[in-house]
Amino acid sequence: MTVIDNLSVAPGAPSSAPEDHRDPRVRLTAFFDEGSLRLLTAEDDSGVLAGVGRIGGMPAVAFASDARFQGGAMGTAGCAAIEVAYEHAVRERVPVIGLWHSGGARLAEGAESLHAVGRVFAAMTRASGVVPQISVVLGPAAGGAAYGPALTDIVVMSQKGKVFVTGPDVVRSVTGEQISAEELGGADAHGRRSGVVHVTAPDDTAAMVQGRRLALLLGHQGQLRPATVEDVDLGFVLPESSRRAYDVKPLVNGLLDSPLGEESVELQAKWAPNIVTALGRFGGRTVGVIANNPLRLGGCLESKSAEKAARFVRMCDAFGVPLVVVVDVPGYLPGVGQEWDGVVRRGAKLLHAFAEATVPRVTLVTRKSYGGAYIAMNSRSLGATRVFAWPTAEIAVMGAVAAVRILHRKKLAAVSEEERPALEASLAAEHEKISGGLERARQIGVIDEVIEPGRTRSALAEAIATAPSARGAHGNIPL
Amino acid sequence: MTEIRAEMVANVWKVMVAEGTKVAEGDTLFILESMKMEIPVLVEDPGTVISLNVGEGDVVQEGDLLAVVQ
Repeated sequence: MTVIDNLSVAPGAPSSAPEDHRDPRVRLTAFFDEGSLRLLTAEDDSGVLAGVGRIGGMPAVAFASDARFQGGAMGTAGCAAIEVAYEHAVRERVPVIGLWHSGGARLAEGAESLHAVGRVFAAMTRASGVVPQISVVLGPAAGGAAYGPALTDIVVMSQKGKVFVTGPDVVRSVTGEQISAEELGGADAHGRRSGVVHVTAPDDTAAMVQGRRLALLLGHQGQLRPATVEDVDLGFVLPESSRRAYDVKPLVNGLLDSPLGEESVELQAKWAPNIVTALGRFGGRTVGVIANNPLRLGGCLESKSAEKAARFVRMCDAFGVPLVVVVDVPGYLPGVGQEWDGVVRRGAKLLHAFAEATVPRVTLVTRKSYGGAYIAMNSRSLGATRVFAWPTAEIAVMGAVAAVRILHRKKLAAVSEEERPALEASLAAEHEKISGGLERARQIGVIDEVIEPGRTRSALAEAIATAPSARGAHGNIPL
Repeated sequence: MTEIRAEMVANVWKVMVAEGTKVAEGDTLFILESMKMEIPVLVEDPGTVISLNVGEGDVVQEGDLLAVVQ
């Protein structure tokens, strides 16, 4: 007779049998704080298991696909378990996290499973903007299981995760295109090309860590304590030439309490990289940072980056997360492709998102802020809480030289080529004096204060801490 | 094989590599000029430059092939 010493194992926990990583209890146990999982639904063959637990001490709800049955396919019972998770999360006002590994709707159940999956979508949409929703994709998430995560606020994907509406086999039989699951819906496809996934992680553990971190940032935002915010000189990022590109991320790292990749999380880092969107702590409180990145496309706004930022602004507003907007933007990207891509319609989303936002939202202009992009980047006119500028900032409809080339075309054409640069320069200086420049922006009140880069953190902290906290009354449609 | 294409209308200001240059992620292939900004074109997938399709001073349109990295 074999005696098994069970004293070290919690009641109900799996015995010493080797753990199956597809077992939803194993996944939920790994996701929550040690020993905090309590199940909300029965362990059966429904394909989904739901439970409550803690994330860094914060209560949360999670559910996981059970990939041991029919590849985690979703049927009536499994979808009902997800609905239970959502009801609980909304009632308790806590974040809800989905751990996905599912081929989609259960074929054998036919239309019934479609109806059930649709009900899950409706539950997610009702909870949108009410409680934070995070998806962690650990295996294939196809069809209905792809749209589930897509309806949530943030999608994290492990290297083993794949997301697609129809898999490689269907693609091949319908269109004749030969493509692997990884190429079709892997980390590169969605992290860089489609923007479907917000965060990619090298393995399941790293994906769960990111899911926990994001749930905590949105679900437990903390209080901004300006006294804890130390000033650092952030001006080091700017190159000497105002035409030169630079990476804005060191500035974002210096602005937040902890750099990107540690406690701060950049969303959609490789998709529309000309704008950076990140969640992190500032003076202990969760904030959202939006920053133009001159390293990519000169930092221009275009249709994708406007849409990316618009969705981020609306998510932060829905959960009451204050925004810090770092502006260095030469304008909207010109081009036939952009116009036909709907830059007018998609750019309008960013205008709408900022104008509608009720959270404290503070703008810092570091260098250029030109034209329509000036307005879109949380300008005073759209209702910015406070607008700061470094002494290096320029605000104008366009750069002074470009402006005088249009305004004084005839005058410039009349002089010889040798004389032209000097005339351009003097006209530009004159133009800056009357129409633009920082001083004028300050006089008309579109800039509140010009600050030295070394005072950035304390100025931003004071502005956010003194603004009334607020939260937008709207959902977070996946723009 | 990765085709590097122009993301915007621009002038090619500087070509930083030659055919046969080995490049790593984050290296600069070209510096374009547009919107009064110097805009670097960076390597996303490491490899070797097997063809350079533009030279300094050329005007490129959005989508034009700049180089091929393998």
